[in-house]
Amino acid sequence: MPHVFAVSELTRAVKDVIESEFPFVWVRGQVTNVSRPGSGHLYFSVRDVEASLAVVWFRGAQGGKALAGGGRYNPLTGEVYENSLADTLTDGMEVMVAGRLSVYAPRGVYQLVAEVVQAVGEGRLWLEFEALKKDLAAKGYFDQARKRPLPPHPARVAVVTAPSGAAVRDFIRIGRERGRGAEVRIYPTLVQGEAAPTGIVRAMLRAVADDWAEVLVLIRGGGSLEDLWAFNTAEVAGAIFASPLPVVTGVGHEVDVTIADMVADVRAATPTHAAQVLWPERAQLVQRLDDLEMGLRRSVARLVATRERELDGLARGLAWLSPARRLARLEEAFADGRRRMVRAGAVWLDGCARRLAAAEERLRRRFGPANLDTREADLDRREEFLKSSLKYFFVDRERQLELAAARLDGLDPIGPLARGYSLTTLVRTGKFLRRSADTHAGDKLDIMVYAGRIAATVTETAPDGGEDA
Amino acid sequence: MTEKKEESFEKSLEHLSRIAARLEAGDVPLEKGVALYKEGMALVTACRKRLEAARLEISLAGEDGAVESFDAEAADAAGEEERDG
Repeated sequence: MPHVFAVSELTRAVKDVIESEFPFVWVRGQVTNVSRPGSGHLYFSVRDVEASLAVVWFRGAQGGKALAGGGRYNPLTGEVYENSLADTLTDGMEVMVAGRLSVYAPRGVYQLVAEVVQAVGEGRLWLEFEALKKDLAAKGYFDQARKRPLPPHPARVAVVTAPSGAAVRDFIRIGRERGRGAEVRIYPTLVQGEAAPTGIVRAMLRAVADDWAEVLVLIRGGGSLEDLWAFNTAEVAGAIFASPLPVVTGVGHEVDVTIADMVADVRAATPTHAAQVLWPERAQLVQRLDDLEMGLRRSVARLVATRERELDGLARGLAWLSPARRLARLEEAFADGRRRMVRAGAVWLDGCARRLAAAEERLRRRFGPANLDTREADLDRREEFLKSSLKYFFVDRERQLELAAARLDGLDPIGPLARGYSLTTLVRTGKFLRRSADTHAGDKLDIMVYAGRIAATVTETAPDGGEDA
Repeated sequence: MTEKKEESFEKSLEHLSRIAARLEAGDVPLEKGVALYKEGMALVTACRKRLEAARLEISLAGEDGAVESFDAEAADAAGEEERDG
């Protein structure tokens, strides 16, 4: 786990480093953002091409005390300063500042605490500059409306500059790395000194007269305000204003803004920047090409991959529909069906067995051994009953027979014969003779007595001689 | 490098961007996509060649109106006073 700083902790650490590393320094730069709050302290920045440094000039360090009528005096020596820099310091002045670096924690900025501030150069030029600027502005030289756009990729560029020196070299060096190739024609001139303004104007006129270039570039390397002065002249400003070609200026360092810059159609900060303004960086073009190429490759790869995926999907679908697969699927379904069938059969058989067992059980309950015994016993009982009934029946009949025999005995005709009765049969009819009238004298009679028979002949008949003989 | 070439470079780049966008959309048929890709790659190669061939041709226009070639490296050696000033 890395150490996590509190803001104040980190600021304190930075402050320690800065204040110990740079206890006292001299810095040269151009003054900007001068601010004079009521406290009497002076706040401004000094800057150069690439950087800006905040400066605070505390009242106590400004040298002497302010006098009522202006100016300052040294309270110790009584020396009076006619014109203190603290009073005249304005934006654009070039100064040398001596002091110590410090960190202003509340805003997290570092700044130079000035102890000595000295002007470099002179304020006269500044005033001239301001006057010309005001004049040209009034004439409409700086109007945005009249600024012309640059051709997008100029192939023919006229460069008005000194043929030797940093400016043209920087411009060419950067130009080589940019764009897609172009022709550069240098119109040489002095860019510094008394003759410079005239030289610049003449070179520009030649470039225009050649009627060759698409754009005119006016460049000069960095230098002091005096060095750059040709670009703050009315002649050069007029030539730029009158140029039928669009004009790009790149004069001095980034902070240097000349009248020429203000009149130009496009102001580049430096000669290097002028080349950058004219042409896009070739590396960027290459990178753009690379991007496009990579995009193409990526896209086509994705396209192919997508189609491949689709093909795979279709192939899988097709395989799924193939006869072999179908057979396999059917076999599987068949096996499954068979399994289910077997299972169902077993279940069915189980069911049958269960039903059989249940039926058997019911049967057993109804006609089972226990029940049969009961029935047998019942049957036995009935047999017994039948047998005894039969017996009684026979006995009864025997008795009745005996009775009947007895009665029959009573009715035996033989019996009365024993007791003296006889039985007469009329032979002629063969019938038992019950009435005397039935006979005639002379009829033969068969008379049965107890012992033996008698044959007789009727001699006489008497009526009603006894009814029941 | 002539102006005609520059225009064609611009057009090529524009064309290339259109192709890349179309291909990126991914809704082109495969054959069309491959054809676009080939076309795009050909443009990339052509543009790259043009960039590689790109040169800054430098000349110096003399006071007499003559135009002569200019050697910036030699000019460097000639003077640095301007920078020091």
